Amino acid sequence: MAKKNPIKAVKDFWCGKPHTAEEGGRRLGDLYEDKTGLLKHREWRGVKDTFYYMYNIWGYNYVHMVLDILKFSNNPIDFFKGTWRYRWMGQTYLPVIHWFERGLQGMRGEALAASAWHYRAMVSASIHQICNFFNADTRLHGGKENDAYKHTIYANETTCGTLFYPWKDAGYQYLPMEMIPYFVTCHVNSHTVLNYIDAVQSIGLPGDPCPMCQAESGLFVLDDVPDSAPIIITCNEACDASVSTHTLQDWFANKPLFALPIPMQFDDPLVKKYCMNEIEEMWKFIEEQTGVPFSWESMKKYLERQNKLQRDEWEKWDVASKTDYYPINGVAQALFRIYSTQYGVQTSCWEEASEKVKKIMYKCVEKKINPFPQTRHRVIAWSCAPLYFSNWCTWAYNCWGLNTIINMDSLMFDMEIRTDSYENMLEDMATYHMWAPMRRMAVGGMHHIFELWDYMKRFNCDMVAMYDQLQCKGMQGVHGLFEDEFRKRNINAFWIPHALPDCRTVSRAEIRRQINDYMTTVMHEEPLDPSLLDFDDSMTW
Amino acid sequence: MKKLKKALLKLCLIFVLLNVGLFVIFFFDLDGKLLFNVVEPFLKKHYDNMERKDTLQEPYDLDKFPKYKYD
Repeated sequence: MAKKNPIKAVKDFWCGKPHTAEEGGRRLGDLYEDKTGLLKHREWRGVKDTFYYMYNIWGYNYVHMVLDILKFSNNPIDFFKGTWRYRWMGQTYLPVIHWFERGLQGMRGEALAASAWHYRAMVSASIHQICNFFNADTRLHGGKENDAYKHTIYANETTCGTLFYPWKDAGYQYLPMEMIPYFVTCHVNSHTVLNYIDAVQSIGLPGDPCPMCQAESGLFVLDDVPDSAPIIITCNEACDASVSTHTLQDWFANKPLFALPIPMQFDDPLVKKYCMNEIEEMWKFIEEQTGVPFSWESMKKYLERQNKLQRDEWEKWDVASKTDYYPINGVAQALFRIYSTQYGVQTSCWEEASEKVKKIMYKCVEKKINPFPQTRHRVIAWSCAPLYFSNWCTWAYNCWGLNTIINMDSLMFDMEIRTDSYENMLEDMATYHMWAPMRRMAVGGMHHIFELWDYMKRFNCDMVAMYDQLQCKGMQGVHGLFEDEFRKRNINAFWIPHALPDCRTVSRAEIRRQINDYMTTVMHEEPLDPSLLDFDDSMTW
Repeated sequence: MKKLKKALLKLCLIFVLLNVGLFVIFFFDLDGKLLFNVVEPFLKKHYDNMERKDTLQEPYDLDKFPKYKYD
């Protein structure tokens, strides 16, 4: 048996074990229980970081989840009633702190603190939406259409919240129908969504369209969408499968509904004009249904807040692209951005988190702290990510030193919306709407899909993590083109096959195996932490 | 004075014990284990057995609302 070095033991206790195997590393993979992904015990990150995690992340977020419920809920009892009524609520959101754990594993110091603020904002925004659902839900209020119900506008989750700012100051709340019941659940607890996918297939729909559209329809099939708004705005999301979703939503919701399309070929100026008209028609529909006119003042006020958030993001990206001092990890970057751009400034949590992160980031810049010191490759992740394994970037950094600097989800809404005149605002709003999730750089045409090369250069990345959504017909069609381009441009790229929310099609272990294979056979590299190469987490959240 | 000292000591002891308790829950992921092994299976059973409306029985009222066209 090897003799223990007491000096190293004290150092390991005080600072935490070093990352790499050569230095007698921390072996994070040994912390997992077999299959469940639960931890035998949490990682000892050294005295400072362990207690920072315990008090400022674990404890802080538990307490603030309760405070958020009290803050956003009209009656906290409704929250418990909703938890009991809706599977996506009860089954999903209880293990939210474990979601933090998966995303923040192995992080230390500034990376741990800054990334956790992004998670905190996402939790707060989620509770904001959950409370808005339950405040207004007629099912939780004996069928009564209360004031909150009358002041809620339902919209498809890919219809950006920005479109509804004109009614915000009049007390109207935009609620994306599927963002909480579907999208966020997949990240927090991937078991829940499977019920909805199976439900829609059980009524005879084929299993091969996008599982996102399937799950969104399945929510309605299982009667698991709260009745919280008198009107609905739907859209075709980014693909044809969603047109069927919209039809099922029209059938099951049985409410006045406006279908706002997201155009397919959006670089055409005539299409843009058409899109501007569609947006104005939708605004007229809301005016007619609510009896409240469009407010330019309200629109301008919230757009200016949103633009400030965008400028903050550019400031952060500037540091991420030009230095090694950016303290946000890949998963915290991607989820914060897609969530905040889609939901919009419905709450102030994004701005508050962004300020805190900027403070930590500038500390790193001033003191020249590299929050990811084991970075071997700067990675850009492209296309749509596996929702059930969005924390693959955390694993890839810990195991291989692959640091995901930026990703397609963050870059989709890379623009400000002008507020100097109504006409300019409408024009920019149409662009923003047409750059919807999965549209601009996934199924939005060759020019936008291949923006990858420009962003790769801009963010100084030397490797591509290419997501391969097996049930997205659009992206499957360009798989070969990417292969050709990678070869032609001599770019190191690995593929991550997945089926968006459905962890049964490609398991997390299979995704890890594919990356391991690439890193050993193509890159000829050794893992930083070999304990993370292969482990069974098939039953994990 | 003695009483105050005793009360302070008690308070300190409670504070220490509370923190030790929290640390044990945190470090050994006891909250995660409770949720995974007890709470989730219980809730799952509840949701699986819940009576639900058969949405397929709903008529699709295509003409219930007007066509919203604002040319």
